Amino acid sequence: MSDNKQIVADIDRSLYDFKDVESEKDFYRMAEGLTRETVLKVSEEKNDPEWMRDFRLKCLELYEEIKMPNWGPSIEGLDMDRISSYVRHKSDMKGKWEDVPEDIKNTFEKLGIPQAERESLAGVGAQYDSELVYHNVKDEVAAQGVIYTDLESALHGEYADMIKEHFMKLVPPTDHKFAALHGAVWSGGSFVYVPKGVKVDIPLQSYFRLNAAGAGQFEHTLIIVDEGADLHFIEGCSAPKYNVANLHAGCVELFVGKGARLRYSTIENWSKNMYNLNTKRAVVEENGIMEWVSGSFGSHTSYLYPMTILKGDNSKMEFTGITFAGKGQNLDTGAKVVHIGERTSSVISTKSISKDGGIGTYRSSVTIQKTAKKAKASVSCDSLMLDSISRADTVPAMDIRTNDADVGHEAKIGRISDEAIFYLMSRGISEEDAKAMIVSGFANPVSKELPLEYAVEMNNLIKLEMSGH
Amino acid sequence: MNTDLNMKVNVLPVYTYNFLRVNDSTLDASDITIDSVESPVPAAVPQGVSLKSGVSFDEAGEVFRANKDKILVSTGVPGEPNGDTSARDNEQAVRTGMGVDVDKLFISTGAKCDVYTVEEGTVVKEPIVLRFDMKNGNGRLASQVIHAKKNSEITVIMDYTSEDDKEAAGFLGVSTRVLAEEGARVILVKTQMLGNGYLHFDDLGGACYEKGAIRLVTLELGAQKVWTGSYMNLTAKEADFTSDVAYLSREDHHMDINFVADHRGKKTNALMQFKGVLMDEAQKTLRFTIDFKNGSAGSVGDEQEDVLLLGDDVINRTMPIILCQEEDMDGRHGATIGQLGEDLLFYMQTRGIDEEEAKRIMVKARLDSVARLIPDEALAQRAQHYIQNII
Repeated sequence: MSDNKQIVADIDRSLYDFKDVESEKDFYRMAEGLTRETVLKVSEEKNDPEWMRDFRLKCLELYEEIKMPNWGPSIEGLDMDRISSYVRHKSDMKGKWEDVPEDIKNTFEKLGIPQAERESLAGVGAQYDSELVYHNVKDEVAAQGVIYTDLESALHGEYADMIKEHFMKLVPPTDHKFAALHGAVWSGGSFVYVPKGVKVDIPLQSYFRLNAAGAGQFEHTLIIVDEGADLHFIEGCSAPKYNVANLHAGCVELFVGKGARLRYSTIENWSKNMYNLNTKRAVVEENGIMEWVSGSFGSHTSYLYPMTILKGDNSKMEFTGITFAGKGQNLDTGAKVVHIGERTSSVISTKSISKDGGIGTYRSSVTIQKTAKKAKASVSCDSLMLDSISRADTVPAMDIRTNDADVGHEAKIGRISDEAIFYLMSRGISEEDAKAMIVSGFANPVSKELPLEYAVEMNNLIKLEMSGH
Repeated sequence: MNTDLNMKVNVLPVYTYNFLRVNDSTLDASDITIDSVESPVPAAVPQGVSLKSGVSFDEAGEVFRANKDKILVSTGVPGEPNGDTSARDNEQAVRTGMGVDVDKLFISTGAKCDVYTVEEGTVVKEPIVLRFDMKNGNGRLASQVIHAKKNSEITVIMDYTSEDDKEAAGFLGVSTRVLAEEGARVILVKTQMLGNGYLHFDDLGGACYEKGAIRLVTLELGAQKVWTGSYMNLTAKEADFTSDVAYLSREDHHMDINFVADHRGKKTNALMQFKGVLMDEAQKTLRFTIDFKNGSAGSVGDEQEDVLLLGDDVINRTMPIILCQEEDMDGRHGATIGQLGEDLLFYMQTRGIDEEEAKRIMVKARLDSVARLIPDEALAQRAQHYIQNII
């Protein structure tokens, strides 16, 4: 048995790897590089209010001051002088699918977004390169008072003050170099407001497509779920593969009110030339619940650690994540949680698979502050090594500052056991099916947390093909 | 001699988020008095063991330097984890848990090293006891190399004590480097019962060849500030490192620990267990790492910590890291941090034991479980008496 090595095929990304040629006639593309002029030009394009223009310039200064991180994957291959910060189609955002320009519509049709909207979503936002090209929320959801719109419109509308009050307050531009970069050149993204007590039964979705080569996508997602409200928000991301580096430095800020619940699900399938330096953060008030479901499959290099601040007493968070690091990928993912309120609780559960030279790193931090009396935290991370040319590292940290916290942590790194395969084969299951069952079972805790359509997509993404010798 | 210390020590094998402030530790102290740069001499040197005293720190490391290719053997494809910091300590004769700055201190101060060599096949029954009797105002640097040749066995007990002077203040810095050749077994026992004003560091680096084993038993009970580190190179088939560490930190004491098990050979084994109690305003940082290098097929690594938090103002930081570049291995870690479980307290109360007494029993039980491993009855009793007095 020990000589029989399992073969797990690469994820088939051909579904996402089609390229739509962007002509100069239809697309506006800002020159590569990051300067004061670039930032002012983005600000002008966005028709920013004065405070936002000043904020962008301040962020640029911070970006130039803050050093590169000294702890994660190498990002030497990322040259900001070769990245265009802003690419947009020359048409405006549309509220009706049939009005979306044909070339962009084709892209999203291939990805199945309008179909998903028709079948299972309360609203959809679709971003193509730097701008939202389509945004729609179903009438019955809008009638409940739910706001789901692009952030730029919200900046000039009746929610302008709310945006100003919340924008980059949870993820300040001082947080790290790429948060500052985001603050300087952010473009696109969504604003969601769910009023008090409103429960949105079916999910809202944003889909991000970075089609241009050598470009950056810097969308900002701001979601406020008010007291007692309930929302499931899904984001998906993809891009075709080019030979030049692309950059995604988005930012997600989530505000979960008293007794509210927010589930934020992500299926990330950026192409393997993408540097995914994304920042996601949530703050949860008293009795609120934050749930993260995260699948990371794409990107050349990822830094992704959704963070939750359990501010209110009895607030809770759950993080369920899976990362699949294949050939040429260095995916550094995990989660962070800070307990502030009393009787707060957090559960982090992650799975990672490394194969074909891929590097999968689970990185986390659990911080329990002195005020978080009776806090409970539980962390569990499992890694599966499918060959000996890959890496699977776990780098967790716990910082506990109250004596009545209850913290448990366990991690395991292993391979598919010969005994388990032997057992299944002794029950009449072929070796390939046995291995497929074991890997599917390994990923199951994540896929079962997703809506059916997305669980299917995730399984397609994993697409494990087994064969024996 | 008086000196200032400003050393970066206990560097994590891989850096992580800077906001946690756990990537390394600074051993910073000014105008430290050092009145001795020599190790204590044991009462007797057993037959089959040779002792060479007063060797320079650098020269004493020669046995490691001469075997560097064997110690740092790479049987697979080398590969670096994200945030790798290993290059920092490349110039050490053998890598240690606290790192290169400790070596530099010993070299710059001209501290001497005692080299114990256990001849091939020699099994030493009686432990060698090195007693570091540290009085109020003392300052000392001490270093030793223990070289156990093939199929030999030796136990070395290092007893750091301020006797009955609980408030003694001073400085004690110790470096120990151990080489366990093929089939050799070294048991290293360290008990630390220094006065409450002591600044103390204790650095350990070692290598085990095929079927070589190093067993570490450590009891950290005293001193105001403690830095300790251990780095074990498990270089060849069935090399083994087992450590049992118990610590008690109280008042405003600080404890900073960095343990690494570097699996290079096939079927190597590492088990690192920590049992701790934090009281009052004590602060502790524990970094422990299992590193499965490519080629270490069939290896097993396990790291466990169980910490009891008893003070309102304690700070506990734990970093249980596993690095893995080998498919065929079994790596796991676990940490349990908190107070005594309600079920346990309830059980105790049904037996007529109140909460305070239950805590005392549990603190004593977890420290005694390591104290019992000390192969010197008098020292084990002294440690248990010390624990009893504190709780």
